[in-house]
Amino acid sequence: MRKRSLLIVLAVMALLLAACGNGDEGGADTTQPSEEEVTTTAEAPEETTTTDEEPVDAPESIKIGAVVPLTGAFAGGGAQIERGYVYAVEAINDAGGVMVEEFGTALPLELDVRDDASDPNQTTSIMDELAGEDIVAYVGGFATPVHAAGSATAERNGIPYLGAATSTQALHEQGYQYFFSPFPKSPDMAATVFEMLNGLIPEGDRPLRVGIFQEATDWGEELGPLWVEEAENNGYEVVLHETYAPGSTDFTDIILAAQAADVQALLSLPTPPDGFAIYQQMGELGWKPPFNLVVRAADVPTWNDLGEAGEGVVLSTPWHPGLGLPGTDEVNQRHIDEEGRPADPVVGSAYALIEILVDAIERAGTLDHDAVRDAIAATDGLSTIIGPITFREDGTAEVPNPHMQRIGGAIELIWPADSATADLVYPSP
Amino acid sequence: MPRAAAIAAGLVVLAVVISTGLISSNQHVLTLIIQTMMLAALASSWNILGGFAGQISLGHAAFFGLGALVTRELWLNGMPLSLAVVAAVATTIVAAAVVGVPMLRFRDIYFAIGTLALGVAVFITAGNLWPGISSMPAEALRNYDFTGPYFMTLGVLVATVVVSLWLKHSKVGLGMMAVREDEEAATATGVNAFAHKMIAFVLSSALAALAGAAFAYFSVSYFPNFAFSVIWTFEAILVVFIGGVGTIVGPLLGSVFFIIGRDALPAEINEFQVVVFGVLFMVVVLLIPGGLTEASQRLYARTSRRKPPNAYESKATKGKELV
Repeated sequence: MRKRSLLIVLAVMALLLAACGNGDEGGADTTQPSEEEVTTTAEAPEETTTTDEEPVDAPESIKIGAVVPLTGAFAGGGAQIERGYVYAVEAINDAGGVMVEEFGTALPLELDVRDDASDPNQTTSIMDELAGEDIVAYVGGFATPVHAAGSATAERNGIPYLGAATSTQALHEQGYQYFFSPFPKSPDMAATVFEMLNGLIPEGDRPLRVGIFQEATDWGEELGPLWVEEAENNGYEVVLHETYAPGSTDFTDIILAAQAADVQALLSLPTPPDGFAIYQQMGELGWKPPFNLVVRAADVPTWNDLGEAGEGVVLSTPWHPGLGLPGTDEVNQRHIDEEGRPADPVVGSAYALIEILVDAIERAGTLDHDAVRDAIAATDGLSTIIGPITFREDGTAEVPNPHMQRIGGAIELIWPADSATADLVYPSP
Repeated sequence: MPRAAAIAAGLVVLAVVISTGLISSNQHVLTLIIQTMMLAALASSWNILGGFAGQISLGHAAFFGLGALVTRELWLNGMPLSLAVVAAVATTIVAAAVVGVPMLRFRDIYFAIGTLALGVAVFITAGNLWPGISSMPAEALRNYDFTGPYFMTLGVLVATVVVSLWLKHSKVGLGMMAVREDEEAATATGVNAFAHKMIAFVLSSALAALAGAAFAYFSVSYFPNFAFSVIWTFEAILVVFIGGVGTIVGPLLGSVFFIIGRDALPAEINEFQVVVFGVLFMVVVLLIPGGLTEASQRLYARTSRRKPPNAYESKATKGKELV
């Protein structure tokens, strides 16, 4: 091999390294768990022994394996998820831990948080690693891609998996028995947005010309057609329906097409980087329709960095401090103290997963995976921070589907109207 | 190392790997070994084209991905795994032969850039055509057994090593190496350079497809375009150079080093692992161009008070040639 060839390799590998450093699609390492362990345990709570003799084989703690994207494309959402888990675990440990009948004592929770770098392949690899470490259950990350990998891996490993921040109904139609996700799914979301528009905007002022920016993913293929169906059912007209590949960087053509079609309500479901790019470029092109629904990308705090371009967008997550559900005040106050702002929307969803798991463990009375799975499935009307939870057979649950709007840098609850903390700003600034 | 000792060491390693697959139930350990064997097979397949024939391909992932895609699609739709793998390899051979005709007209940097463009184009296209995640059905997941993927991957690796060994000592392989050293000189002595490069390209691609098939069989859930990602090419080249380019044992050593090193990397610097191994790659290429193979041979020569065993290492040490 000539020296020249060697130089070629060095030059191109430098390019590859630069590309891989971005950490998004295929850029991150594929298989290696990138561990960023954030183990949250309390001092062992005062034992509330209920039998005279404590069994000797009680573990020191109940381990929960959390696989969360703390870096990469979904890092903004992952940070919210992690906070929700940490807050819940610490609150439960402060309250005395979890009573496990099998051991006759209360045990503290131990949260093992690992970063999957927003890469579904790392999600699988990390979950396999956690499977060998006596975890009682997995709690998952943010966005459908990592949950798709996580739910399949949990099914293979026979370990319960609870996940928030995924709205893909299709994940629940594969016959999985170990996957539970109390989060609004596409059919509910598609219906609620038009219910909200009809409820908040007088008939003559409604944005009847609908445009859809649909990402080419499982979730996009599911939600896009549902939006079309619901639009037609509610007397709206879909005048533009564009599909783009996730990770795209130039959205000029579809934005100009939407402008040319005189879109009045733009519905989109981008991952954070794509959503930022879309609204950044809309700002540069000087166009924004009167109503903008941005599912998921606008959930992350850094959305405010977009300034005027991101102002007024509507987002949809199942929780907002304004709903005033049990436990909200404590979580919200802690978030304000630590982060300097009210609790982010997904924090509550993550918090609720721990509440559900703890309830299931106490009812199961054991840390056996199948017993805990059965107990989760049997959850019926459990009061949580996101409302009462009852699981359906497919692992979904009926949960509130409130909508919020980014107004002046804050996230205001606008729907349901009876809990709203602000009126819908329409047309969007 | 004497030939007999090398064969004995190889057999011992093989016995340990087989025993581990039969005995161990530790998923993490099995996963690491499967990942190591898969990467070793992919790297060995790249080594045939890059190490033996001297053609630096940066689009190797396209064939790994094609093997994975065809295997997965056919297998999940009911075709027996063995037939799906055969179909995947056959498809890849045809694709490589078609692509190889124009691609191998390029030389040096133009071939590298051409294959890089091919790899990126195929990656994007696969993402557009297969946007949804590919997950195994629930029933298959509940009955999942690591043994199957483990021994399939081992079989793919053994096949790749056997082909590499055969090539290394065959007339065809010698022709490839002649082309690598000096294409004009090889042609002048009667070697059909294009034909030898084409054989290397097709063989290398077919073996990459086999590794892709193992990936498709092993993975419970992944996005189809992920198997086409440049990261596979990057890792294959990385471990070949770290282990020793143009050697049989180099890709194997490099893969073990890479997977274990990655697993042991402290959590604090894990986000920078691509950079860490990239820098390591450059250091190895500049200071030990023969990689771990050369380093171990140097060490062996020193401990046994002998000179490096052959001219290849001497040349490599001087930095004039890599193989």
